[in-house]
Amino acid sequence: MQLTQSQPKSFQVNTTSVTMLNNERWLVGLHILSAFFALFWGALMGPFQTFHRSPAFVAAFPNATMPIFSYYYQALTAHGVLNALFFTTMFITGISYYVTWRSFDRPLVGMPLAWVAYALELIGLVILFFVLLNDPQRSAVLFTFYPPLIAPPLFYIGLVLLVVGSWLGLLVVFLTYGAWRKENKAARIPLAPFAVMANYVMYFLASLGVAVEVLVLALPASLGLIQNTDPQLSRALFWFFGHPVVYFWLIPAYVSWYTMLPMQAGAKRVFSEPLAKIAFLMLMIFSVPTGLHHMFADPGISSTWKAIHTVFTLMVAVPSFMTAFNIGATLEIAGRNRGGKGLFGWMFTQKWSDPVVAAQLMGMLQFITGGITGLINASAQINTVVHNTSWVPAHFHQTVGGAVALTYIGIMYWLLPMIRGRALYSKKMALAQVYTWGFGMTMFGHTLGEAGLAGVPRRTLSGLSPYLSEAATYWLNANAISGVILLVSLILLYANIVLTLFASKEPVTEGGYTVTQGDPTTPAILERWGLWIGVAVVLAALVWTIPFIDSINLTEGFQILRYSPAGPVPLK
Amino acid sequence: MALDKYERVWLTAVGGLIGAFMAALMVAYLIFDIRLPTFEARVDPANLNSTMFADLGVKKRGENKYDVVMLAKMWVFDAGKDGGNPGVPPVIRVPRGSRVTFYVTSLDVTHGVYVEDHSINLEIVPGQIARQSIPFNRPGEFRIICNQYCGAAHQGMYGTIVVE
Repeated sequence: MQLTQSQPKSFQVNTTSVTMLNNERWLVGLHILSAFFALFWGALMGPFQTFHRSPAFVAAFPNATMPIFSYYYQALTAHGVLNALFFTTMFITGISYYVTWRSFDRPLVGMPLAWVAYALELIGLVILFFVLLNDPQRSAVLFTFYPPLIAPPLFYIGLVLLVVGSWLGLLVVFLTYGAWRKENKAARIPLAPFAVMANYVMYFLASLGVAVEVLVLALPASLGLIQNTDPQLSRALFWFFGHPVVYFWLIPAYVSWYTMLPMQAGAKRVFSEPLAKIAFLMLMIFSVPTGLHHMFADPGISSTWKAIHTVFTLMVAVPSFMTAFNIGATLEIAGRNRGGKGLFGWMFTQKWSDPVVAAQLMGMLQFITGGITGLINASAQINTVVHNTSWVPAHFHQTVGGAVALTYIGIMYWLLPMIRGRALYSKKMALAQVYTWGFGMTMFGHTLGEAGLAGVPRRTLSGLSPYLSEAATYWLNANAISGVILLVSLILLYANIVLTLFASKEPVTEGGYTVTQGDPTTPAILERWGLWIGVAVVLAALVWTIPFIDSINLTEGFQILRYSPAGPVPLK
Repeated sequence: MALDKYERVWLTAVGGLIGAFMAALMVAYLIFDIRLPTFEARVDPANLNSTMFADLGVKKRGENKYDVVMLAKMWVFDAGKDGGNPGVPPVIRVPRGSRVTFYVTSLDVTHGVYVEDHSINLEIVPGQIARQSIPFNRPGEFRIICNQYCGAAHQGMYGTIVVE
C-alpha cells in the first residue's frame, strides 16, 4: 500500500520559532499555567476516588478521608468542575490565542478584552475553590448540577464567570480573523485557526443552553428569587450544552494532531487539509443535535426525538473516522520517512521516545477504545445496559481523560519551555509520565467498564455500597490499582512542571510548529462561515425545539421544590 | 481537491458501518420491540396522594402481569407494604416468567432505577412518571440500584427483586 499525497504548488510555510513576545508569553502562559493548576487539584482527587470506590480499600482503611476536598462527593464535584470545566476551558482559551496569533502571523486584536476574559476565568476558578472548600455538603452537586439539587449561589456565579470569559476569548479570535481577512482577501484560512473558529462557533451555540439553565432556573433558585425548579427542562438545557462541550475539548487536540503532530512526527504536513476542514465543519454542525443521547433513560422526552438524536450522534462519529484516516495516513508517511518498511513497519518507527509525540500517540490509542465505547453508548437500546453505570466514566476517561488530556499534556511539554524560556527539565520523566498515564488510564477504563457491566453505578461512593456483587467488588478493587499508577503519573507530571519553571537551566531549542498558510486547493465554499453557522443553527433549532417544549412544565408551573444534597428536607 | 483511493475506500466503509448501526437500531426497535422510555405522564410530587403513587408496591394485573409502583426518595426506594419505608430496602417478589411494568417517580431529587442483569434503566426525574416494562424469566435475586447521584447517602440506596 502506497499513499500518495498531492502537494500543491506555492504552499508550505512552517516556522518553528521558540521566541515569544512578552505579551504573548504572559497571556498564553498564564492560561496554560492556570489550567494545569486547576487540573492538579481536580486530577489529584481521581486516584483517591478509585481508592474509596474499592471495597478492599474501605475495609482496610475505614477511617480514611479524601485529601483537601475531604468529603467524597465534594471531591467528585471538584474532580468534574476543575478538570472538565476549568482545566479544559482555560487551556483551550490559551491555546486558541496561541494558534490564532501564530497562524495568522499577526498580533491578536483586542488584547484588553483577552485580559478581561482571563481575569473572569481566574476569578471563577477562585470562587469555585472557595465554595467547594467552604460549603462541602451543599456544593456537592457534581459538575452536572441537576436541579432540584441546589448549590450555594457562588457555585453558579463561578461557572458563569468562566463561560463569559470563554465567550470573550471567542470574540478576540473572531476580531483577529476579521483583521487578517482584510489583509488577506483571497487567501485560504490556515487550518489551525479554521478549527479554532469552528470550535468556538459550536461552543457558543451550545453554551446558550447551559446559560439559560443557570441564569433562569438554577441561580435564581439558589438565590431564593424563585421557589421552585423544573428538573426535566434543566436536564434538556444542560445536555444541549453537555455533549457538544466534549467536542469543544476534543477539537483543540485535533488541532494539534492535524497541524503540529505531522511535523513533530516527521511528515511535511497533514495528508489532506481540505478533508480536515470538512471534518471540522461536520463537528461544528453535528455536535449540537446529539444531546438527547444523554437522556435516553429520561421519562419526559419522547422516544421519537431520542431516535432522531441517535442518527446525528452516529453522524458526528464520521468526522472522527475521517480524522483517523487522515492522521493515520500522515503518521504512515512520517514513519516511512523515518525508515519504516512493509505494511506495519511504519508504526514502529514513530518517535515513541519523544514525549511530545508519544503523548499524542498514546492519546490516539485511547481514543480508539473511547470512540468505540462511544458508539456503543450512542446505540439507544444497548445504552440501557450501560446507562449511568461506571461504564460511562470508563468511556469518557478514555476520550477526555486519555486522548484529550494526554494531547494537552503533549502540547504543554513543548509550550511550557517556550513560555518559560528554558528547556523541559526532564524528557525521561515526561516519557515515564506519558506511558504511566496511558497504561494507567487504559487499565482504569477496562476495570471500571467491567465494573459497570457488573452493575456498579457511576458517581457513587461504591466502597460503602451494600449491594455489590462479587464481580463488581473484584473490578472495583482492580480499578484502585489503576488509581495508584495514575497517581504516580500525576506526580511525575507536576514534578516536571515545577522543575521546568524553577530549576531548568538549559536554553529552549525546540518549539511548536505553525502553518501560516491555508491549502489553496481548499474549496472556497468551506470558508463561508455565514452559510455553515446558519446550517448549524437551523439544525439545532429543528431537533431541539420540540424536546424543549415537551420538557417545559407549562400546565403545572415549576412546582418542584429545591433540595440540598446534604439532606432530604426541601430548602424553605 | 483530490481524494486518495484508499481514503475513498475508508469513507465508504465508514458509511457502511454507520448505516449498519442505524439498521441494527431499527431492527431492535421494530422487530425485537426494545423501546426506550418515552413521555408517560406528569405528576406533582407535593400531591402524590391523589395519584397512582398513593398505593405503592407490587400489583397483580393479570396472568403473569405485574406492576411495581415505587417512589424514589432520599435515600430509599419506597414500595409501600413491600418495604422501603422507613429506611429498609424493599424486597419485591414476582413469579418467574412474569412481565413487570415499573412505574416510578421521585419525591425529591433525580434518582435512577437499574436492575442487575435486566434491560431496565430509568432516570427518575421529579415531576415525571418513568415507566418501563420487562420480562423476568430467570429465577434469582437481583438488586435494584439507584444509579443517579441523589445526595449524601446515595451509595446505600437499593432494593431487591426476587424472581421465584
